[in-house]
Amino acid sequence: MSEKNRPEIQRDQTYWRSLEHYNQDPEFLKLAETEFQSSPLREGEAEDGVARREFLKLMGASLAMATASCVRRPVQKIVPYNKQPEEITLGVPNYYTSSYFDGSESMGLLIKTREGRPIKIEGNSDHPLNRGVSIKGQASILNLYDPERLRGPKKNLFNEKRTNKDTIGANWDSMDQDIATQLKKGGVVVLTGALSGVANRAVVKDFCQAFGAKHVQFEPLSHEEVRAGQKACYGDDLVPFYRFDKAKLIVSVDADFLGAWLMPMTFSGQFAEGRKDIETMSRLVAFDSNYSLTGANADIRVKIKPSQQLDVVLGLLHEIVVKKGRSSHAGNGAVKSVVDSGAGAAARLGIEPALLSQIADDLWENRGRSLVVAGGLPTLTAQAAELQIAVNFLNQVLDNEGKTIEAKNANVGLQGSWADMLALINDMKSGQVKTLIMHKVNPGYVLPKALGFFEAVRKVEMVVSTADRQDETSGEAHFIIPDNHPLETWGDAEPVSGVFMIQQPSIRPMYDTRSFQLSLMTWAFIAKQGPKRLQEYETYYDYLRAVWREEVAPKVARGKSFDDFWLEVLQKGVVGEVGSASGRSFRTDAFTSIKAPKAATGLELVLYPTVMMGDGSNTNASWLHELPDPVTKITWDNYASVSLGFAKKNSLRQGDVIEVTVGGNKLELPVNVQPGLHDDVLAVAIGYGRTAAGKIANNIGLNAYTLMGFNGTKAIASGLPVEFKKTGKTYELANPQGGQTMEGRQIVVEATLKEYLKKKDANIHRHHIWSLWSGHQYNGHKWGMAVDLNSCTGCNACVISCQSENNIPVVGKKYVLQGREMAWIRIDRYYVGTPEDAEVVFQPVMCQHCDNAPCETVCPVVATTHTDDGLNAMTYNRCVGTRYCSNNCPYKVRRFNWFGYAQNIEKPLHMALNPDVTVRTRGVMEKCTFCVQRIKTAVNTAKKENRPLKDGEVKTACQTACPSDGIIFGDMNDPNSQVSKYFKEERAYGLLEEWNAAPAVRYLTKIRNNGKDARHEKGEHA
Amino acid sequence: MIKRNKLILGHKDLKSITDDICQPVETPPGKGWLTLFLGAKTLLIFYIIILGCVIAKGMGLLGVNHPVAWGTMIITFVFWIGIGHAGTLISAILFLFRQKWRTSVARTAEAMTVFAVMTAGLFPLLHTGRPWLDFWLFPYPNQRGPLWVNFRSPLLWDVFAVSTYATVSIVFWYIGMVPDFATLKDRAKNQIRRKIYGALSLGWRGSARNWSHYEMLYLLLAGLSTPLVLSVHTIVSFDFAVAQLPGWHTTIFPPYFVAGAIFSGFAMVVTLMTLVRIGFPQFKDYITIDHMEVMNKIIMTTGMMVGYAYASEFFVAWYSGNIYERYVFFVSRAFGPYAWSYWIMICCNVLIPQVFWFKKMRRSIPVMFVVSIFVNIGMWFERYVITVTSLHRDFLPSSWGNYAWSFFDGAVLFGSFGLFLTLFLLYLRVMPAVSIAEVKPVLPVGRDDGHGGH
Repeated sequence: MSEKNRPEIQRDQTYWRSLEHYNQDPEFLKLAETEFQSSPLREGEAEDGVARREFLKLMGASLAMATASCVRRPVQKIVPYNKQPEEITLGVPNYYTSSYFDGSESMGLLIKTREGRPIKIEGNSDHPLNRGVSIKGQASILNLYDPERLRGPKKNLFNEKRTNKDTIGANWDSMDQDIATQLKKGGVVVLTGALSGVANRAVVKDFCQAFGAKHVQFEPLSHEEVRAGQKACYGDDLVPFYRFDKAKLIVSVDADFLGAWLMPMTFSGQFAEGRKDIETMSRLVAFDSNYSLTGANADIRVKIKPSQQLDVVLGLLHEIVVKKGRSSHAGNGAVKSVVDSGAGAAARLGIEPALLSQIADDLWENRGRSLVVAGGLPTLTAQAAELQIAVNFLNQVLDNEGKTIEAKNANVGLQGSWADMLALINDMKSGQVKTLIMHKVNPGYVLPKALGFFEAVRKVEMVVSTADRQDETSGEAHFIIPDNHPLETWGDAEPVSGVFMIQQPSIRPMYDTRSFQLSLMTWAFIAKQGPKRLQEYETYYDYLRAVWREEVAPKVARGKSFDDFWLEVLQKGVVGEVGSASGRSFRTDAFTSIKAPKAATGLELVLYPTVMMGDGSNTNASWLHELPDPVTKITWDNYASVSLGFAKKNSLRQGDVIEVTVGGNKLELPVNVQPGLHDDVLAVAIGYGRTAAGKIANNIGLNAYTLMGFNGTKAIASGLPVEFKKTGKTYELANPQGGQTMEGRQIVVEATLKEYLKKKDANIHRHHIWSLWSGHQYNGHKWGMAVDLNSCTGCNACVISCQSENNIPVVGKKYVLQGREMAWIRIDRYYVGTPEDAEVVFQPVMCQHCDNAPCETVCPVVATTHTDDGLNAMTYNRCVGTRYCSNNCPYKVRRFNWFGYAQNIEKPLHMALNPDVTVRTRGVMEKCTFCVQRIKTAVNTAKKENRPLKDGEVKTACQTACPSDGIIFGDMNDPNSQVSKYFKEERAYGLLEEWNAAPAVRYLTKIRNNGKDARHEKGEHA
Repeated sequence: MIKRNKLILGHKDLKSITDDICQPVETPPGKGWLTLFLGAKTLLIFYIIILGCVIAKGMGLLGVNHPVAWGTMIITFVFWIGIGHAGTLISAILFLFRQKWRTSVARTAEAMTVFAVMTAGLFPLLHTGRPWLDFWLFPYPNQRGPLWVNFRSPLLWDVFAVSTYATVSIVFWYIGMVPDFATLKDRAKNQIRRKIYGALSLGWRGSARNWSHYEMLYLLLAGLSTPLVLSVHTIVSFDFAVAQLPGWHTTIFPPYFVAGAIFSGFAMVVTLMTLVRIGFPQFKDYITIDHMEVMNKIIMTTGMMVGYAYASEFFVAWYSGNIYERYVFFVSRAFGPYAWSYWIMICCNVLIPQVFWFKKMRRSIPVMFVVSIFVNIGMWFERYVITVTSLHRDFLPSSWGNYAWSFFDGAVLFGSFGLFLTLFLLYLRVMPAVSIAEVKPVLPVGRDDGHGGH
């Protein structure tokens, strides 16, 4: 420390150590400053300029140099923290609770950090709603480390035509001044996505109040149609909470609640809950125009086209209200006149009339315990509101309102609206908007060109965007003020009203970015406008706390002091619970005024979101693109799915490129011939075809939003008439799954509920297996896994979780086509039954950790061996890469590093790697390890604490991600462990049991509650 | 007693035999040889570059993938190893059976064996993901535990089988050449040749003692090589047969592979011999049409043996009642996406050799050349069918896939011929291509019955 920087030392007149001290002698002060008279740390400060440590260092160096000729590799020293931050221990992960809002569902998270950097996102097991985390939520870790994020604020310089000339770095101070000055001029619009969380909403509200600004919310996957229906029927502008766990019979009309609609992680958990007890399991009937994940999990799936959605509901109503004369509405003439158009719906749907009446009867039978849902992009037809009203009426008739549909627990945050967005464009065009602040929206990508968003936005004097990159929309902004990533910033969320979550930052902002909320606060502060709390707090954290103190704590703190409450919230991540519900009164006139559906002919468009891409935001993450679609299994593309019949009639084959025309908008899409689709349906996924998302997502697939139609302020995504033309071109679609059916082999065993009730191991063909060898002895633990095929919905969350946990590389479309995908766990999807009405079964397949592992015997260098706790271990260091093990694996779960994938990880994406798992080099084999790093951690912890390992203490990555508890892992040597119990279940079977590889994984028969006596036999294993 | 044709034509005496055989070694090469050699060498350099790329970038350059983790390299390995069988069979087994006709073809057949095994040996080493660690496949004392190799793995058996076979073949081949090297040394007109061939002849004087020891050693080595002919391909077949994959896991593989190996080996001998006869016309007196006919008979016989094996695989697949086995043979192999390779194999290996039922065909050089080429193609495809079609569709349909044939697959296949041909062409120029010492005893000198056998 130099002389001039030294703080003035107050002379203590009373106590002094020595005369030198009393006289403030510099020599003394120097000594007094250091605690110890002599320290090995004081380098070069000794009299001769060489401290003891220095000497040792030099001595070591000369020794090293003297022997350098024999040293093969240079010694690379690592140094532990000099000043170790509290909480951080090297090699020990910290977990922080947080939340993630994807525009529709708020999920509770547990963020695993190592040495201060987040490496994995998992579900918060204490959360009352979601257990797992959606695919996009898990992959948001890649968004954090995306090399293409902006690293500071940017200013776009425009020419006269408002096209971009240049982008330069912006200076915070002058930029904030400019914006604040502009804001004072009025005409401010804050355009955001849906906002979850009390404080997140409050800050925007305060800001709007400060500047007289208008808040517009836009979500491409808005739940506007549901809200409109609720408003018409009950007068409440909300999205109700659904209880799939309480429903014994669920009828879904194109609501993909297990896939990409509303809150799929929560609903998957509820759905699994309702089916856990097989004997009383719920039944899911799906009327499906796209082959959705929900349709794939349905007990009874009926293929429809979008124009039939309303017909389905009216058909059911007709059966109940008119034909059987049930419910209090039975005599109502007005109701009858509407419902009558549903007569003969079965014939129009092409199903047995008996089936429709059966469903109707069952619904009536289960009134109060059934649930009819509709919603999502596939239902965004011209009659979207009518469909919602009809569904609400049907639920009313069935007395479900307040029982399986809870308005009290609604999510109040889902206010995104197409209509508001379209109105905003008009406002901008007319010059009413002077300043536009955009947050978590990308209208430049989503809105079709014809709506004139770009022309409109160029009329706005100042456009400010908080995008984290120069995307399709922020390219039009004067200032891009990159928002912090959700993992870097404070926030809150409210999945359903009454349940509150905190979004804790788990890493300091990596770049020179600022949270959107703090930006709003800063501008209010500079402009000196707005409510006090908006101006007075220095950080959004303080504001958030204040809002929680005022608005949340009184509701849920239960008398605790705020600080205690706050600490508890941070620890648990969530507070409050799903409240009770009560019914509302239905406005019957809303129903009686709906128009009957018109019969439509010809090909109809269905747009749908996928579980990977969602609405297309934050898709510059390679995991998402390489993840196969749950049903089609195609990666890296979107495509036009058409039925087999349609393909045959028009002699189309997989990969033929057709030109699709919808209302004048054209798109050239490859054909995917999809079993189980209605002949009049052409389904295309949205979320693809980004042009300014980044290197990974750019130009992957095509932007299907461009096919949307608009009727006034009403957005229409489905049911539009489609024309198509063959182009003669072909395009390869990358499907990593080779065979699509089971070829009559016992792979996924399925039984109907009736079969199961008769015989619990129905359809499992057991083999008489004997061996001369007594097998391995497992004296300690013996790890095993059970996969309940009856719970598994095939949602793919486990696949991404595994990828994140185990540093699994992404190879790209070219190599997926060549069969080089690297996933350690894959979900096999097989079609069952006739191709026209194909049903789907899913099966997650990971390394089966066989007791008699065929891979182990053939490795010439013993690189893959059996451990004494039953794992099939892979020693990467020893592997020379003969790949014999892969050839000999009957499950083909082994993955080979064909190239040096790890070397190609662009920085800083390498920070997402899990340091507990070896990053594999080129030329070695890899595979599922049963998350051996987690096993070892748990076992060692138990050992350190001198206690036996508890059941459930080891959870594999796939297990933690599963929203429906379909994967159970544990010790089979413990007879009371959950996994042992699963193994003992009669419906447990091993995959390829007769091969006697003795896998450590058991699958539990899938039960289809379709009322049939036996599984449909055709083309299916008996 | 059956009257046999002379084994050596053209009224040779002992000197003219020596002159004829030494001529290619002692005269400068002609244009034909030079052209071929340059071609072969260019191919070899191309091969080296390709292998360099594969080592530098990774196995991903080839078409191997999931589920077909073995591809061109293993197929071509088995192909070359198979070819290597004819040499030892001719030189050792036929020697033990006192088949005198072998003398004039044995040397070249053995050379072919050695070069084929060398070419083959590279493949298992280079097809690994990390070829620089291939030495881990050998059980050598080490400080890792010691970490030993896995003696249960057929790949390890392969390492021993192939390396033993290569060693014994080379020694056997070399020992047989010692008297001839001495002859070359004696005839050498400059010091360098004298020195080199002198060293190679290991001090051979041609004394009775020399001959006595030599003949005993040769007999012993022949005895040692004989089981190897059967063992090496048996063990190569274990790579497949010991695995549990349908289409690989069959007990018929060892005899079937050995028969196939002899079949392809003889085809390659015929291919090369017809070329040698064209390149060095004086050898036509030693490698006569009779020799070729005998080999063609063996080709036809072994061809029918492999045909029988193909048929029996189908029978066993049906008879076993195993659905996976049945799928592989009745759906995948004969009618699946790789059916074309299966039918190429059947045509080349079973149907085409049937022309040798006709004596005229057996004795026609153009016909036998074409047939031998087809057999070589067919036998490469046999290994392709076994490796690729079995792997591409196994137990779980979800993991099915196709082999992603790439440019590099073709390049390593054709490049390997560069290595083989370069070595073979060099051999023709530096070593006596017919055994001088062994041909002389079968010369009908001083015998008036004129039959060559005894």
